[in-house]
Amino acid sequence: MLRTALSTFALALLGWWSAAWITRDFHAWTAEGARRLIVIEQPVAVPKVALAGPGLVDADLHTWLNGAGRATIVDFVYTRCPTVCTTLGSGFQQLQHALAKETTDGVKLLSISFDPAHDNASSLQQYATQWRADPNRWAIATVPDDYQLQRLLKAFQVVVIDDGRGGYEHNAALLVLDGRGRLVRIFDDTELEPALNYARSIAQREAGE
Amino acid sequence: MTHVRRAVSRSATWQTAAALPLLLLMLLPPVRRTIESSMTAHMLIQYPCLMLVGALLLKKLPARWLSAAQRWNELGIAGLVGSALTLAVLMVPRVLDLALVDARVEALKLIALAASGAALRLSWQRAGVIVQAFFLGNMLPMTVVVGTLYQDSAARVCNAYRLDDQQVLGIGLVLIAIVTAALWLLHAAMRRTGNDATYPGDQDVVQAALRQPQRGT
Repeated sequence: MLRTALSTFALALLGWWSAAWITRDFHAWTAEGARRLIVIEQPVAVPKVALAGPGLVDADLHTWLNGAGRATIVDFVYTRCPTVCTTLGSGFQQLQHALAKETTDGVKLLSISFDPAHDNASSLQQYATQWRADPNRWAIATVPDDYQLQRLLKAFQVVVIDDGRGGYEHNAALLVLDGRGRLVRIFDDTELEPALNYARSIAQREAGE
Repeated sequence: MTHVRRAVSRSATWQTAAALPLLLLMLLPPVRRTIESSMTAHMLIQYPCLMLVGALLLKKLPARWLSAAQRWNELGIAGLVGSALTLAVLMVPRVLDLALVDARVEALKLIALAASGAALRLSWQRAGVIVQAFFLGNMLPMTVVVGTLYQDSAARVCNAYRLDDQQVLGIGLVLIAIVTAALWLLHAAMRRTGNDATYPGDQDVVQAALRQPQRGT
């Protein structure tokens, strides 16, 4: 019975250890939770991708994000989206409204479409008009090159799946990127205030450096 | 003795003949991808099939290994604890997402499933009704809780799977728990009434329990 007790104890330890590894010490039970924790510990640098959209011609994402005293709140969308992107769209509209009162232009907004096949220049322009996006605050773009787009989605762990009704389902969130083009924090799409405050704080911190 | 051994090896051959094609089918990339494209199929087809492969291939292991393993597995306790913990970990939603993008996690998951199937078969008979009841008493409520959470959650727990898929899986998990409980109760009741034929494991438990107070006095 001693040997059985020993082997049971060893298996229990192994089970505990694997559960702790999978859940990041019992803090994250889902991939989304883990993604948000990992980003806090290890910011993710944006890969080299070219953006295209209204007012953007072959803009390099890293260069676009770059600048002392800059921070960007990014969301991933597709313009036909009827559900979650409406939340994101109106959320970004509120953020833009809050930012309009500010004198500095440290914090910017960027919506990236993961559906370049459908979202051409005119769809993106239409999305910008629909949400009354101010081009100085809120850029709307896509990544025309599929390889580059996949690299970006993979780096940020943005998972896009078929929703079975001709659209997409995706892990929508507010991604805060710093002036060095690194993803530093992820907020729920409803956490507008915290996301904005966090973006402001890193923009100020970096401006001071 | 020889004809017994031959019968054993014949049944082992039959089981290998069933297990290997099933294993190959499960590992075949297009089949694996198709199964894993649905959360329900991922958990309710792939998990049981790989456990079945492990259970079927158990008798292919050298008899020496099996008897050595049993010395560390009295009453099947280690095997049942090991497979209960394995299945509990593999029910964490992050595992399903991670297995799709990380080949190491996928490989470990497939091996762990086969191993837990083998461990269940190795331990089940020896466990007897009492230890079996303890195992199921932990596993089945956990499965019902996970299944209920999957049905009720308004948010997706896996980035790679849809909400409707998650809800179907939730219903499936609860059904499996109920059916397993019913089958086991039936099975245990039949064992009890049939000529008082208790499991060898039960006799061990009862004897151990009887021995205990004697030592005290």
